[in-house]
Amino acid sequence: MTLTKPTWRTPLIILIAGCVILTLSMGVRHTAGLFLQPMTLDHGWSRETFSFAIALQNLIWGLASPFAGALADRHGAGRTVVGAAVLYVLGLVLMSQAASPLTFDLTAGVLIGLGLSGTTFAVIMGVIGRHTTPEKRSLALGIASAGGSFGQFAVLPIGQALITAYGWQSALVLLACGVGLIAPLAYAMADGHKPAAGGGQSIAQALREAGGQKSFHYLFWGYFVCGFQTAFIMLHLPSFLVDGGLTANVGMTAVALIGLFNIFGSFLFGWAGGCGSKKNLLVLIYAARAVAILIFMMLPLTTVSAWVFAAVMGILWLGTVPLTNGLVAQIFGLRYMSMLTGIVFLGHQLGSFLGAWLGGRIFDQTGSYELAWIIAIVLSVLAALCSWPINEKPLLRPATA
Amino acid sequence: MKPQWRWFLAGVGLALAGVLLALIFMAYQMPELLLDWTNLNYCG
Repeated sequence: MTLTKPTWRTPLIILIAGCVILTLSMGVRHTAGLFLQPMTLDHGWSRETFSFAIALQNLIWGLASPFAGALADRHGAGRTVVGAAVLYVLGLVLMSQAASPLTFDLTAGVLIGLGLSGTTFAVIMGVIGRHTTPEKRSLALGIASAGGSFGQFAVLPIGQALITAYGWQSALVLLACGVGLIAPLAYAMADGHKPAAGGGQSIAQALREAGGQKSFHYLFWGYFVCGFQTAFIMLHLPSFLVDGGLTANVGMTAVALIGLFNIFGSFLFGWAGGCGSKKNLLVLIYAARAVAILIFMMLPLTTVSAWVFAAVMGILWLGTVPLTNGLVAQIFGLRYMSMLTGIVFLGHQLGSFLGAWLGGRIFDQTGSYELAWIIAIVLSVLAALCSWPINEKPLLRPATA
Repeated sequence: MKPQWRWFLAGVGLALAGVLLALIFMAYQMPELLLDWTNLNYCG
């Protein structure tokens, strides 16, 4: 079946729509923590009840991403994004009415996790990758990634303002209205069923091919480390700073600096990936993270050192996204890009889960975050070494009928 | 569009983006958010 692409669906329109979708999706998800206090107080739940649902959401997001990607690759990204947006909206609205831990797990955990899998990087990057030329692809992925980063930065204070003004239940419904805007925007993402290069390959063949390539495994484990570090630092840095004698203001400013510099970093590394070797840039990011953490640990903890560290980590934060997704497209082609980036993203989410949980566990066991920081440094060095042997050359396939 | 207008509009756009980012950055210091900052420790 051949679908005629309307003239208005230009690469620029697709990029803008993709950026806005990522801004909304990533941004609203980032506000989850703000609902902890009001929801647990109103329902009499423990913090563990709340955080379990959010941990479940992160896992479902990662586990469902390869399937959402495969759906988008096979049946079109437009309808996948619309379906996921509906689940996301339902999840938020029903979360506002959840009266028991089980319904909270099903709404905030399962429904929103499924919604995120179809409205974030794996699916959106696949569409953008398919509609940009190889020369401009990395830059376009960097801009889209910066859109997601902007969402994380901008929606957090908006979410807090909504909770303060209207209460947490109305705030959830209002945020659901924002996520609802993704559905019409998905019309721009509808790229039809036309197979891209590698169209003769089946899903099973694509999976076997990727599984047999060491570079794919290196990308997976590199992303695992990225997830570990970002989750650990975002969740535990404010506590670490307060434990070190700094104020809550310093902690929040550090979180804001990470968010702000993340926007520039995502764009910068996307642009740089179009000019040079993407795997060398991944090596640079992971090595620079190890050095930054090491220096931060060695220097006396002050407001300035905390802010400089936050800014540096912000620059290095999601720069891995356009580079990793770009490498998947470069090596394996565009046909199953969404599914394959979804699998690699699963590694990121497993790392996030471990980073968030292990950071707290280590603190509870030892009374300090020192061991967790050391693990973050060691993993960073391993990720840099892991990224070095990635073969960036596109796979050569026998011609298909 | 004339090139000088394109540069002018790009400059205005960048300036507005800068102001927007600065406003959002300052919003991170709102008292309610500071009170709730511990929540981020759980769910970031």
